[in-house]
Amino acid sequence: MSNSISNKDLKKSNRLERIWLLAKIEFKLRYYENKLGLLWALIKPLVQMAIYYVAFAIILQVSVPNYAVYLFIGLIVWGVFTESTSGMIVVLKTKKYLYEYSNMSKLDIYISSQLSIIIGFMFNLVVFVIALYIDGMSLGINTLWFPLVFLNLFLFSIGTSMILSNLFLIAKDIKQIWGLVIMFLFWISPLLYHYERIAETLPILNYMNPLAGIIINFRQTLMYNLPPDLKLLALNFVHGIVVVLIGMIMVKKIGSRASEIL
Amino acid sequence: MSLTKEIALSLKNISKTFRFSDKTFHSLQERLFNIHKKNKKQHLKAVKTVNLDIYKGECIGIIGRNGSGKSTLTKIMSGAYVPDKEGNIIKNGTSLLLNLGVGFSHELTARENIYVNGSTLGLRVKQIDEIFNDIIKFAELEDFVDTKIKYYSSGMIQRLSFSIAIYAKADIIFLDEVFAVGDEKFRNKATKVLEENWIKGRTAIIVSHSTSLIEQYCNRTILMHKGEMVYFGETKIAIEKYRAIS
Repeated sequence: MSNSISNKDLKKSNRLERIWLLAKIEFKLRYYENKLGLLWALIKPLVQMAIYYVAFAIILQVSVPNYAVYLFIGLIVWGVFTESTSGMIVVLKTKKYLYEYSNMSKLDIYISSQLSIIIGFMFNLVVFVIALYIDGMSLGINTLWFPLVFLNLFLFSIGTSMILSNLFLIAKDIKQIWGLVIMFLFWISPLLYHYERIAETLPILNYMNPLAGIIINFRQTLMYNLPPDLKLLALNFVHGIVVVLIGMIMVKKIGSRASEIL
Repeated sequence: MSLTKEIALSLKNISKTFRFSDKTFHSLQERLFNIHKKNKKQHLKAVKTVNLDIYKGECIGIIGRNGSGKSTLTKIMSGAYVPDKEGNIIKNGTSLLLNLGVGFSHELTARENIYVNGSTLGLRVKQIDEIFNDIIKFAELEDFVDTKIKYYSSGMIQRLSFSIAIYAKADIIFLDEVFAVGDEKFRNKATKVLEENWIKGRTAIIVSHSTSLIEQYCNRTILMHKGEMVYFGETKIAIEKYRAIS
């Protein structure tokens, strides 16, 4: 027993390490279980992009310049949101083994799950940048806004996931309902058409739907090298912080009983 | 055993009520279609008002018949269950509830589970690297390190969790019926570790039906009966009382 270690003062110091360890393992589990591996992370948005390109650019003749790249950046941002929310609805069930028999914080579970999705997103971003240059555009100084826009996406995704996974403890069919909500959100977000279309017809949507602002600002900063729409950026921070706060309250009130309910 | 009067675990006014109904609505759909029906709730008091102090370095036994609230009490102590509102728990240090093969993800390999488990117990990756081989060796799983544990036999899983518990060393350890682990050879090995130096010096709470085991290791014992703590004190007396009621 000479090698064993007592762990008195280590509890806090290894928190980041633990979150990263869990994120890595989850990422590996998601993509390396099959032969194509990481390619799957790239194939999905690429195939989606191809489908929408054929439908909208060729058949419906939507006239958005650089439509393929326009689609791609929207779809990978959208992908982060749908993957975290739909995937994490059941996280308290699938990760029960983590919190049931030790006093691990549930917040760490959410963060690590979200991180594992972000890792895939980063690979997709690399593909996006390559596509950007192929299409004759380039990254510019406004890329510096990326951390803020990204933080918007992160907060809103993780907060929504926290709320949903706790609702799941009360009502199991939230999973099906969320599928419908996602579909609705998809069509009111400026993914396939130009956001000005929405701004002309239903301007309030861009303010009410946090994803609209996030997608718009990702395009502004990474694709067009323009500063983000600051009004939307600020508003999205409010959205993000509100859902995270509600989520944290729910984790405390409902989530703390998760190991009894599930 | 030296009894330093430093509190490891203190339960004040702890009880646990499970609420359930014979007709639970698990989904919004069911709820909507039964909106006029009342959800009749039933209450089950699994643990009734427990007050106790456990000091650092003590080894405490918990005995009682099936359904007496032993495991619920253990889960409350370990933090897995939230007690009813009026109760209060003070816990100094990390704790680990060792149950048969739990705390593992069956989708992960033994290697990954060891790292995840060690990390939730507060170890750094570097420290887990150091004890990794010992854990595998003690659990006798050298040939299956990178096998997903869903392909393990139940004995293998139990050996693994037992081995992690020994090497990762939580400050307070709950052992819920873990001494039925593995085959005879492994059981002897496990008991030997316990005898040697493992339980000594750390706080352990042992739940078991085996009174001989409790008698051997625990100086104080809790007797649970129908959700109530009917006795907490000397092991000998606890066992006598237990025999009287069962």
